[in-house]
Amino acid sequence: MGELARMKFYCDDQRCIDCDGCSVACAEAHELPTGVSRRKVITLNEGIFGKEFSTSVACMHCTDAPCEQVCPVDCFYIREDGIVLHDKEICIGCGYCLYACPFGAPQFPRDGAFGTKGAMDKCTMCAGGPEETNSAKERELYGQNRISEGKVPVCAAMCSTKALLVGDGQAIADIYRKRVASRGHGVQSSPYGWGSAYGK
Amino acid sequence: MKKYLLFLVSSLFVTSVAFAADSQIWGDMRLEDILGYGQAESTKLGPLFTMLQSNYFAKAFLVVLVGVPLVFLIHYLIIGPKVFSHDGKKIYAFSLLARVIHQIAAISFMVLVPSGFIMVFGSTFGGGEFVRMMKDLHGLATIPFAIVVIPMFVIWVKDMFIHWDDIKWLMIVGGYLSRKKNPVPAGKFNAGQKTWYWLATLGGVVMVLTGASMYFMDFDIAMLREITGLSQIDILRAAAIIHNIVGVLITALFFVHIYMAVFAIKGAVNGIITGYKEEEEVKILHSSWYKKLKKQGKI
Ligand code: SF4
Ligand code: SF4
Repeated sequence: MGELARMKFYCDDQRCIDCDGCSVACAEAHELPTGVSRRKVITLNEGIFGKEFSTSVACMHCTDAPCEQVCPVDCFYIREDGIVLHDKEICIGCGYCLYACPFGAPQFPRDGAFGTKGAMDKCTMCAGGPEETNSAKERELYGQNRISEGKVPVCAAMCSTKALLVGDGQAIADIYRKRVASRGHGVQSSPYGWGSAYGK
Repeated sequence: MKKYLLFLVSSLFVTSVAFAADSQIWGDMRLEDILGYGQAESTKLGPLFTMLQSNYFAKAFLVVLVGVPLVFLIHYLIIGPKVFSHDGKKIYAFSLLARVIHQIAAISFMVLVPSGFIMVFGSTFGGGEFVRMMKDLHGLATIPFAIVVIPMFVIWVKDMFIHWDDIKWLMIVGGYLSRKKNPVPAGKFNAGQKTWYWLATLGGVVMVLTGASMYFMDFDIAMLREITGLSQIDILRAAAIIHNIVGVLITALFFVHIYMAVFAIKGAVNGIITGYKEEEEVKILHSSWYKKLKKQGKI
């Protein structure tokens, strides 16, 4: 990755076999509470022959992230490599980021008897949070920080068909183009979801 | 009243039961939401909310917070308050029930408005524990208001319909632009009070419902989705948009209400505390009502 690396996710819907491995790996690696899945596999056009496909979604770490724009307490911060993170100790659990998000990424574990919402939780691209890197507190609040150790986010690392990729947007786009070309019947001009996340 | 409370409690119970069901946001519905976002055929509520919240809502609240009191300060300095004799006879205007209901609503508002402002300007307060506490307080203070809002609507509704006097009242802005004590055309409630009444009661119900939706977020009321034709997330987006817009209006008129009762008409606030208004105040500011009472021989 060069200096201008801009981290993006890409899930190849031609390869995704709806095994849910990424979602499970994520939940286990970050010890997420039940009811929270930072990553989820969804199937589109279910039952429509030739059009059905599955893809894995999580926070896409958008350009000009809508969540960051609406947060009333400004608890988001965007790293130089484009990863969108937030501070759970500042978050008030208002839900606005969820309303703004095109991917339904922000989630709210319920704590308390009346279903009051706790601080927002979402995919960190395995980059932790604002606490000291790899501290116990960071791990407790945000899960593993694999990026700091030079590791690939756990979802993409375990994806058996290599459908789910993460890395510098330029490199990912190159792989995407190669794959589409090799199949010989490219239809989409950019990966699914990229329009919403990174602009056309 | 008893039945009403029962209804409230049972509807709370029903919503908490609904929690046990599957998530309406992150379950299968999530798909629909992702597909719908910003698409030409979608509601576009997501991008609309993002645009409004990032550019306008906080600004509108700031205008209310600074602008409305500023206008009043100027009014107070240039035209000044209306002072009526407090030695004359008193006219009984508000029953004990009306006063109790009003006071419960008043106390709720004194918590709801500041805590709401603190959330809107959450970043100024640094977020975290304090703002979170205000959010919970905002939710708690909703409960007493939700209990009294409908009774409040019922006890006053018969006096609140529009009347010829109201047009005349609006033409002279209730006489507040002059220092003279000329009789102002108004029944028991003037056009300003009526506007506030409708906004506070109907708008108040809207605030309770939209606020509760956002607070409970992942509730499951299929009927609501069917009636509106919206997905759960779009219901929440609509709720957030409506809550902010109606919130701006209600806070603006709430400030007006306080200014009138406490500053602009000296001692007017006593009316809702003791139930009695000053005769001179009624004679001038509610002249039609005064004449009516006179005719009926009640004074
Ligand atoms: S996917 Fe949602 S949560 Fe993630 S950066 Fe985009 S708007 Fe924010
Ligand atoms: S839930 Fe938290 S992160 Fe999301 S907008 Fe509200 S305060 Fe910000």
